[in-house]
Amino acid sequence: MTLLEALTQFAYECNHNDRLQAMNRDWTRRIQLDPDDTHLPHYIISDSGQLSVGAGAVDNPDLLITSSEEILTAVFSGQMTPTEPYNAGDLMVKGRQDDVMRLDILTLLIWGE
Amino acid sequence: MKQVVSVSLGSHQRDHEAELTILGERVAVSRRGTDGDLDRAAAMIRALDGTVDAIGLGGIDRYLIVRDRRYEIEDARRLAQCATKTPVVDGSGVKNTLERDLVQQLHDEGIIRRSQTVLMVSAMDRFGMAEAFEALGYTLVAGDLIFSSRINYPIGSVDELAELARKLLPELARLPFQQLYPVGEDQITQSDPRFSHYFAQADIVAGDFHYIRRYMPDDLTNKVVITNTTTGGDVDRLEEAGVRLLVTTTPVVRGRSFGTNVIEAALVAVTGFLSDHPDWGQVVRQANLKGTRIALRPSRQESRP
Repeated sequence: MTLLEALTQFAYECNHNDRLQAMNRDWTRRIQLDPDDTHLPHYIISDSGQLSVGAGAVDNPDLLITSSEEILTAVFSGQMTPTEPYNAGDLMVKGRQDDVMRLDILTLLIWGE
Repeated sequence: MKQVVSVSLGSHQRDHEAELTILGERVAVSRRGTDGDLDRAAAMIRALDGTVDAIGLGGIDRYLIVRDRRYEIEDARRLAQCATKTPVVDGSGVKNTLERDLVQQLHDEGIIRRSQTVLMVSAMDRFGMAEAFEALGYTLVAGDLIFSSRINYPIGSVDELAELARKLLPELARLPFQQLYPVGEDQITQSDPRFSHYFAQADIVAGDFHYIRRYMPDDLTNKVVITNTTTGGDVDRLEEAGVRLLVTTTPVVRGRSFGTNVIEAALVAVTGFLSDHPDWGQVVRQANLKGTRIALRPSRQESRP
């Protein structure tokens, strides 16, 4: 699975989940994922909770997530929780703490249990 | 006299010393805040180990007990393991019994009514209280996601609360505690009115006082507040907001209601039992630990000329 495929699946799950839509109805953010090995950025844009994803960079991201492409793919496809690489220092996030926590919660609610 | 120290991640500005009588025995209690500094808290616990009868962990839960599952906060586990001789407890051993019983008592006495709406600012740390409200037929809104993560999503039932806990807590419990809960100076930040409508819609506001203090609006006219760890200043603020009745889940001594960790530590010090002892529930009830009911609005009216 590529990073773009993982992000596409992540956005689909989020956009088709009524509870996540309700949680994120007031959340509009630009998130950039920066693989530190391939240097091929990807993005997630939340527009009032509706997610769109793609390859490339965004202007002035609210959240910048840096890791290897393999880890980013694993996190957004649910094969790995974000906590593990975050606590090991293999995943760096720059942005507001509330946005970081919300993204953690989103991934856990989509892929948790 | 038995000695108990509560090592708290909260602000040192709330430090105090007092004496409690538990099961007829006097217990000296001291609260020491470490301003969110985990290393300082760990050093303090190591220094206290073997020198006092029990240690309470304040400002942090070690266990969140949600229905039949117990989730352990990793930072709290690390702190507790700094003591090898003296028991370290977090209050979860008394919350479930005391707070569940308290809701039932208030209901039985007609102080609260099932037509009233309850806002629990956090319920994963007080699942017994949440279950008691729901079992008695109250409309319950749990604000765990709202007040801990600023996600504007009210949780509407204990079933949903348990489901979210199952999905979130195993992972979130591994994060640095500061990311989950305000510690140190973060506990005394300015109020945040973003979610005041949840307070306005509720008749009863219950749960962690740090969340209540931070998010409460200026007007809480005629509401009942059920919480603990309030100081004299906190009581004044609730009175100014128009709160009708403040119910603390733990006893008030010298104007302060104790954290559940202090109460559990005192019980452990006196009885030698830990919360996994088969007679623990009986011990908690025998201790007859009464919270305090402070009628605020009537007292304010009476004090007027």
